[in-house]
Amino acid sequence: MSSDLITQKLSFHVKSFQESFEILSGSNSIFEMSKHFERVLSGSFFTTGISLFHKKEKDLSWDTLLKKNSDEHLRLLNKVEDELFRISSSSDSTEIYTISKLVDSSQIGIVLGKRFDGNPYTEIDKITFQIFIQLFDNAYQALLSLQKEKKLIFSLNNRVSQLYSLIDTGIELSKIKMGSDLLELALSRAIALTNASFGRARRVNSKGKVEDVFFPPNIDIEASPDENKLSKSFTDYGIEYEFALCEKESRDGMIKFDDTDELLLGAIARQVQAAIENDRANKEALENETMKRELEVAAEIQKRILPVDLPVIEGYDIAGINIPSKGVSGDYYNVFELDDGRIALIVADVTGKGMPASLLVSTLDASLRSYLDFHIPLSEMAVKMNAIIYKSSTADKFITFLIAVLNPANGEIDIINAGHNPALLLRKDNKMEMIEAGGVAFGMFDMGLPFEGKKLKLDKGERLFIFSDGIPEAMNKDEEEYTDEKLEKFFVEEKTDSADEFINAIVTDVKLHTKGEIQSDDITAIYLIRK
Amino acid sequence: MIKDFELTSNMVNDVLVMKTEGYINNAGGEKIAQEFDKHYSSGITKVLIDIEKSNVVNSIGISFLIEVIEKLNHKGGKLYFSNLDPSIEKTFTIMGLFQFADKVSSVEEIK
Repeated sequence: MSSDLITQKLSFHVKSFQESFEILSGSNSIFEMSKHFERVLSGSFFTTGISLFHKKEKDLSWDTLLKKNSDEHLRLLNKVEDELFRISSSSDSTEIYTISKLVDSSQIGIVLGKRFDGNPYTEIDKITFQIFIQLFDNAYQALLSLQKEKKLIFSLNNRVSQLYSLIDTGIELSKIKMGSDLLELALSRAIALTNASFGRARRVNSKGKVEDVFFPPNIDIEASPDENKLSKSFTDYGIEYEFALCEKESRDGMIKFDDTDELLLGAIARQVQAAIENDRANKEALENETMKRELEVAAEIQKRILPVDLPVIEGYDIAGINIPSKGVSGDYYNVFELDDGRIALIVADVTGKGMPASLLVSTLDASLRSYLDFHIPLSEMAVKMNAIIYKSSTADKFITFLIAVLNPANGEIDIINAGHNPALLLRKDNKMEMIEAGGVAFGMFDMGLPFEGKKLKLDKGERLFIFSDGIPEAMNKDEEEYTDEKLEKFFVEEKTDSADEFINAIVTDVKLHTKGEIQSDDITAIYLIRK
Repeated sequence: MIKDFELTSNMVNDVLVMKTEGYINNAGGEKIAQEFDKHYSSGITKVLIDIEKSNVVNSIGISFLIEVIEKLNHKGGKLYFSNLDPSIEKTFTIMGLFQFADKVSSVEEIK
């Protein structure tokens, strides 16, 4: 057959070749392409007996794409396994077949079976067949390029999605309540981001108690082989957290976790850690704010209770002071005139500070003023007040209390000391007396224990000093106390002209001892001189 | 591979409605694709996937959904999603699913 004739005959097929390529290149997969190819070939060669096979590598077995009499057709192909691109035919030329190599080195094997009219395939048919196979290869190349492009776009979109998801997860973790919800959200996000099949978040507290969260729920993570796992852990305040992911998925089955997965899991774990730390910081800030407000209220209560000015007592000079160590004092002091003209001098010390101490001081002040108005003996009053304080306070709260009721006319003083530092009395002859009479501190026991009062007389020139333990126990940076001995010596030696001078002097002396160290306890004192 | 995924489907007029429950991963995505293929050959062009009970989807699961979208797009059809979790909706948007698929609140919204 002359080349002119071949050219002439093939020219009739040009349009058909163009249309066929358009159809084939619109395929989304090799399976779809093979179905299109079947239609193209059957239209061109008037046969439905078409088989199409594909294998990724020469030594692999054929995958069937189109199956018509495939066993017989496979036998035909096996005969020409080493004759790539050659168009072979059966002895009567009613069947033609070939194996061709595609652009990615994979192979296709095609068999065109008998035609409807039974006519043999001609040389022109064989050339046309070869051209169609070339079209298939070109369309296959286009398909591979399209798939590669799609894969790249998918991968880029997936990276962007992972970044967004990481940011959103961080925000959501910071809002979610602490506990299993936090771990569940973090775990499910880590699993989705890394394409893990399943996983576990574990929390082990300092006592070894284990709490597990699984995704999906109720899976057996221990059953997964170690090479299919990825884990990350951290410890926060003695609590150990671990995230373990298992069996990374792909469309072709299980694959190993990679460096990106490790980075993603690490980022999620850090977000969880940050959320836990932030939550703790927020709680602490809230507690501090609550404490601050509580102290403000306590300070306000105390301001209303503690005296602004002490009463002027004819024939006497009196001064007092209260220096709280931290904002609100746990000490109480007061000097006030009773309706019978006597003067009550009180110093008390409540255990603890802040609102609970302040409320207890308030109770003490109210009950004290009420009972003093009844003019009952101090020992009886002390029993009643102890009962009230016991009922108003918790087990760890009690009050040391000292009251001295002075009759200004004759200098007689009634004293009750309930577990407080002894009052000091300086006689004219410069001898010091310690007044310890009384009982246990208020609020410790409610067994009706008696309080023993003491009577004494303050003559002209004699001095009374009532104080709280903040003075003898004031500490310097070497944790050395001012001591009772030093206080007593100072009391005896420092005979100032006025009560104010003495108070200022003792405070100065204490500060000289502490040398600028932060005041460890409240300082409270009353100093009385009979002129 | 863990299979924590359930799929139910039914026809509402000419719309194939699939409801998923659980992790849409390789296994879940494959199940969706298989169910879709069963109906695709019979000419279905509208598919609604209700993912109210799925709040975790990975990229393998998404690749199956993209295949469904492509097949429907090829026939002039469309995939619809309903009851999307906000984080999944964001992921689908970034992955470009809504260039060819739509969000609806119910099957009645599909014309």
